[in-house]
Amino acid sequence: MKRMKRRELIFKVITYTLIFLLLFPLVVLVVWSFTKNWPWPNIIPREFGLRGIKYVFGPSSKSLKILLFSLWLSSVVTIVTLLISIPAAKALGVYDFKGRRIFKMLVLAPVIVPSVAVSMGIHVTFIRLGLANTFLGVVLVHLIPCIPYGIRILTNVFEIIGESMEMQARVLGANPVKAFLYITLPLISPGLVSAGSLIFIVSFSQYFLTFLIGGGKIITFPMLMFPYIQSGDRMMASMYSVVFIVSSLIFLVIMEKTVKTYYKAENYFYI
Amino acid sequence: MVKKLFLMLLILVLALNFAACGQGDVANVKEEDILSKDWEEILEVARGTEVNFYGWGGSQRVNNWVDTYLAGRLKEEYDITLNRVGMDIDSILNILLNEKQMNVEEGTIDIVWINGENFFTAKTNDLLFGPFTHKLPNFNKYVDKDCVEVNYDFGFPVDGYEAPYGKAQFVLVYDKTRLDKIPRNYKELLEIAKNNPGKFTYPAPPDFTGSAFVRNIIYDIVGYEQFLDMEPKKETVEKAIRPAIEYLKELKPYLWKEGKTYPATIAQLDNMFADNEVLMTMSYNPNHAVNKKKTGEFPETASTFVFDKGTIGNTHFLAIPYNAPNKAGALTVINFILSVEAQASKYDPQNWGDLPVLDNDKLNDEEREMFEKIDIGEGALPQNVLLEHRLPEMPANLIPIIEEIWMENIPVEGE
Repeated sequence: MKRMKRRELIFKVITYTLIFLLLFPLVVLVVWSFTKNWPWPNIIPREFGLRGIKYVFGPSSKSLKILLFSLWLSSVVTIVTLLISIPAAKALGVYDFKGRRIFKMLVLAPVIVPSVAVSMGIHVTFIRLGLANTFLGVVLVHLIPCIPYGIRILTNVFEIIGESMEMQARVLGANPVKAFLYITLPLISPGLVSAGSLIFIVSFSQYFLTFLIGGGKIITFPMLMFPYIQSGDRMMASMYSVVFIVSSLIFLVIMEKTVKTYYKAENYFYI
Repeated sequence: MVKKLFLMLLILVLALNFAACGQGDVANVKEEDILSKDWEEILEVARGTEVNFYGWGGSQRVNNWVDTYLAGRLKEEYDITLNRVGMDIDSILNILLNEKQMNVEEGTIDIVWINGENFFTAKTNDLLFGPFTHKLPNFNKYVDKDCVEVNYDFGFPVDGYEAPYGKAQFVLVYDKTRLDKIPRNYKELLEIAKNNPGKFTYPAPPDFTGSAFVRNIIYDIVGYEQFLDMEPKKETVEKAIRPAIEYLKELKPYLWKEGKTYPATIAQLDNMFADNEVLMTMSYNPNHAVNKKKTGEFPETASTFVFDKGTIGNTHFLAIPYNAPNKAGALTVINFILSVEAQASKYDPQNWGDLPVLDNDKLNDEEREMFEKIDIGEGALPQNVLLEHRLPEMPANLIPIIEEIWMENIPVEGE
């Protein structure tokens, strides 16, 4: 009994330390976004100011419009990536064919090869195809860093659930579309949420690729943020970062909630 | 069967797609030469259009000036919508180089904020449109066309391919409460560093400002005249700057972290100054300290000084890419930027605090007064002091050599 309690205590200490270590830098970020200056040896900032929040939410910076556009772009990328990843992941996770292992490795190539190395060539090709400086072009180029995450996560999901449930549905007379919609999709929905979240974050934080392919015509939120990080304006950089983190968090929570409530209802109905 | 059909369809669509793109390239009609039109016609073409202005976006105050004052006035005067795109110059040049390689006739960038080595790269690769400055009424009226600073950009002839935007000058920034005596030359700087070990440093070249600091030290020790027409050979340069390199070696042990490491960027040094870690920072913008005080990052007691022998000044410019979609709009905007009104507004430290490029002698009394009545703010140097202490920039092709010599001699020594 005593031992149990002690164990619990140790466990709690470790958890809270970890949470503290994860959250503390974010707290500092929030403090910095309202800090004019914070010279040594002050423990708390010497002067606070609202320049950052005024500029970010002011009309001249167009930040909110660009933020909404960024969220929209990354949502499109997430959906397209998932649409491509589901069949690919099913093939890699369920079917046995020659070269499966190699394909599984190759899918990770965009994560291994830095995108900067190939982006110049992609830009030239996109200019030729008329895709440079367009929304479609940016969506396509975002697929490159996103797809590996989508396929890898969903492959693992498919490996676990296998094909038996879908087979069962087919045996009972469901056509492939129905079997997919009513059986497979609900089964992989937790995997879809985690893959989708990761894809969204990867796409949302793309800077260089958007920059090059978008050519300044397609402006995303990180493109507003980076110049300030580079120039060392810590108030602006922190303010933008806070908005960045909060908005992607809100978006992810909403996504998870909608998917979960939707499939809970469905499951309840069909089981 | 269905699969095969689908595949065929897919191939067909793809083929069509490629064909369509190919046609697009051929169909591009060469636009009428805008420079053969007269100014009234150019203004007419520019009215109601959009102009994309690409350049460095790291200063909130500069961004704000462009987004509010400049964009607002252009809308009022010419119904032009100005889109500022904050992008660093390397990326802009990458885009332009790729587009040039593919012969893209219509790009996205109308105006580029540029100077120095980047202008050299852009011009030698035929990325720029021009010469265009002779077309601009305000350029003809207010700018001194014989001035070296307008005709040469880091020793490279401008030839009308870029119009001056503003002037910069290297200055040093200190805090009055923490440093009672300012160094007037390199010897005094060494003394201060010796008395305050670990409290001074400079950004490592090739950081723009760090590199300028090294050049300033070179000028202070061996003079600037010999560099203006020096051939870009490493041996020659090395011999000429040897006393300066020896000096930097002597200074090194008294620097921050004993000179074993240097801030990588000027941004880092600025923040170190703001955090009381070092006693001085430096900038290529003479109103930097005032700007940073306005945003509250620097203490109210921060102030600016230059060396007695002077510091390097240069001009930053605006250029038009060869494939700018709206050249008439770009010309109109650049002409407006060269107006007395815009230059005065830009010079006001309430807005930006960038030195004007107009020639004082060409202004009438009323116009001159617009500049004189501007309060430059506490902690900045007045324009005449800066101009008296202004030294010309070195030719662009010497700079990488000096940076290389610095790299070989300074950080590695003793390790």
